[in-house]
Amino acid sequence: MSARTVGFVIAVLVVGALPWLLQAPYWRGILVLCAMNVLLAISLNLVLGYTGQLNLGQSAFFAIGAYVSTILVKTYAWNFWAASLAAVAAAGLLGLALAAFAVRLRGHYLAIASLGFAVITYQVLVNWEKVTEGVRGIYGVLPPVGSMVGLFYLVAGIALAVYVLIDNLVRSPVGDTLRAIREDEVSAASLGINGALWKAFAFGLGAAIAGLAGCFYPGFVGTLVPDAFNIIESFTMMAMVIVGGMGTMIGPVIGAIVLTFLPELLRDFGEFRLMVYGLALTLVVLFMPGGIVQAWRTLAGRQWHT
Amino acid sequence: MKRALWSFAIAAGFAAAPLAVQAQDKVIRVGVVMPISGPASYFGVMGKEGIDLALDQLKAGVNGYRLQVQYEDSACSPLQATNTVKRLLDQFKPHIVIGEECSDATLAIAPILEQAKVVQLNAGSVTMKLTESGYKYVFRIFPNAEQQSNPLAAVAYNTLKARTAVILYEKTNAGNDNADGFEKPFVAMGGKVLARIDFGRDVNDFTAIATRIASLGKIDVLPTFGLEGQQVRLSQALAQARIVKGGGGSAVQMGSIWLPYGYDQKAGQSSEGYVRIVQFDPTEKRKVVQDFIAAFRAKYGADKVPTHINAHAFDAILLVAEAVRRGATDSESIRDRFSKMKDVEVTTGKITFDAKGQNSDLSVVHFVETQKDLSWKGMNWR
Repeated sequence: MSARTVGFVIAVLVVGALPWLLQAPYWRGILVLCAMNVLLAISLNLVLGYTGQLNLGQSAFFAIGAYVSTILVKTYAWNFWAASLAAVAAAGLLGLALAAFAVRLRGHYLAIASLGFAVITYQVLVNWEKVTEGVRGIYGVLPPVGSMVGLFYLVAGIALAVYVLIDNLVRSPVGDTLRAIREDEVSAASLGINGALWKAFAFGLGAAIAGLAGCFYPGFVGTLVPDAFNIIESFTMMAMVIVGGMGTMIGPVIGAIVLTFLPELLRDFGEFRLMVYGLALTLVVLFMPGGIVQAWRTLAGRQWHT
Repeated sequence: MKRALWSFAIAAGFAAAPLAVQAQDKVIRVGVVMPISGPASYFGVMGKEGIDLALDQLKAGVNGYRLQVQYEDSACSPLQATNTVKRLLDQFKPHIVIGEECSDATLAIAPILEQAKVVQLNAGSVTMKLTESGYKYVFRIFPNAEQQSNPLAAVAYNTLKARTAVILYEKTNAGNDNADGFEKPFVAMGGKVLARIDFGRDVNDFTAIATRIASLGKIDVLPTFGLEGQQVRLSQALAQARIVKGGGGSAVQMGSIWLPYGYDQKAGQSSEGYVRIVQFDPTEKRKVVQDFIAAFRAKYGADKVPTHINAHAFDAILLVAEAVRRGATDSESIRDRFSKMKDVEVTTGKITFDAKGQNSDLSVVHFVETQKDLSWKGMNWR
């Protein structure tokens, strides 16, 4: 049995056991949120970590998944799964549409363009009131499964499946292609790699995964308002990827887990909670620029040599 | 002998244990869900001041019960508020939850508390949906959007003889409901709304909006609904464009209970002539108001004047204490006592909850006008 298979089996066992270790409905809710954040971190990591595209608009795709699925279910009485499929397709297609322009941009220019996309999406949600209800919001959204445990298993199961899918993808020649583009697009082009095509592929796939995460958000919270998808959400996703270790598969997962649970664990600090949270993030970025995964590898390497 | 002493001590300990448990049980747990971080954090800060003051005054307990409060930051966000309330329900097991202040977050937690059969006492949201959705455990002491906007429309049309209005409001549930609450009766009376202009909470410069308003012709009144920071800048922009009285224009800017006391000083001369309704008025002579102000100054500083946010939070705790005084011991009985409350006097007036849980007594809600020296003048308008 390979190490990856062992890791996967352990992950399945941990996911299976978590709701029974954390039995309080509040912590089970945080588990669901964590599973959603894992999906979001994986989605952004594909774009940022593997393809090197500084995308600040991921919250927009999350929002598109949430709104398209909810509107189809609530207004047009679609089945949740059909609505989710349509929402994922919508997010993916919009990701591809944005990619058509984004692939020509790099670094800060891409960051500004993707930020602009997130702002436009937010404004559409606020102002297209006939469809989105604007700031009045959509209330009484039900989750696809009745219990919090069921919802966690569903979202965590999907997150695991997506993880395995992307893990296999980045280990395949496609992953090598994406990494080659990230390291040096000109050199990659000299090897016959169509950088624009593969960057669009990563952008579209990342957007679709973020849209998938968005499908579960409204049912979890029960309400849907545009403020849930403001630009801050994009930065939070980016923090998950950076803190965990971008460009690795497990890093963003760890980042998502840490940044979901840390604010909740710090609630006992009262009003100092956000200061402690901010300080912790700053320290991680200062002393572990490669994220938790790199720090772990460094420490493990030293241990090995001593 | 030593062994006997130990045995006695252990036996005494066991015997005293049920008493200790009983003493601990005589507690009413109050969860407070407020924005302590984020753009509306001043709600949480002021709310905490009011609640802490009320708790100081109730240190001796009520009917043998102690009020135990746990504050949680919900950051004005539906997701955070949802998580926060779930955490409170799991870990603190409140009998009542006070909050949230922002309408979106308030609406997000209402169904969760309803399902848990825990009373939600709201003292800061105006959205109509909160008390119009059929919730049995929701109570609100803050006047809702219609209760705030309908009198504004009536005074605008009948007293100020206004026939044209431009409505300015933040694009939120609360702002929308307030704008609707003004427009419908004003138009029904024969007034004309020249424009409805909304703005996001991220808008800092209102020059463009003021310039647009200046091009709309003669405007009699400008009902404005927004948070204090934006309203200050909005008033200044309207004055600079010579639209409102504070800038030498003729239009009267009107506002709701949203604005805390002290707004006029912040907005400066541009607020001259501003007409608004208030529920908590520090110049009011009622004893309960003056006692509250004295206690507030004693605790927080002689130069401080409490705002309606301080007062609403203070009143929320007084109402919980009143329910306990009337025999409430748990969430269900708090709900029962609340629903039977009639004319309970607090700093923000008298509280009588209607069948939907909305305070229906607006007897102390009155109009004030900002004078040249930026002081308030109470107006005898109804």
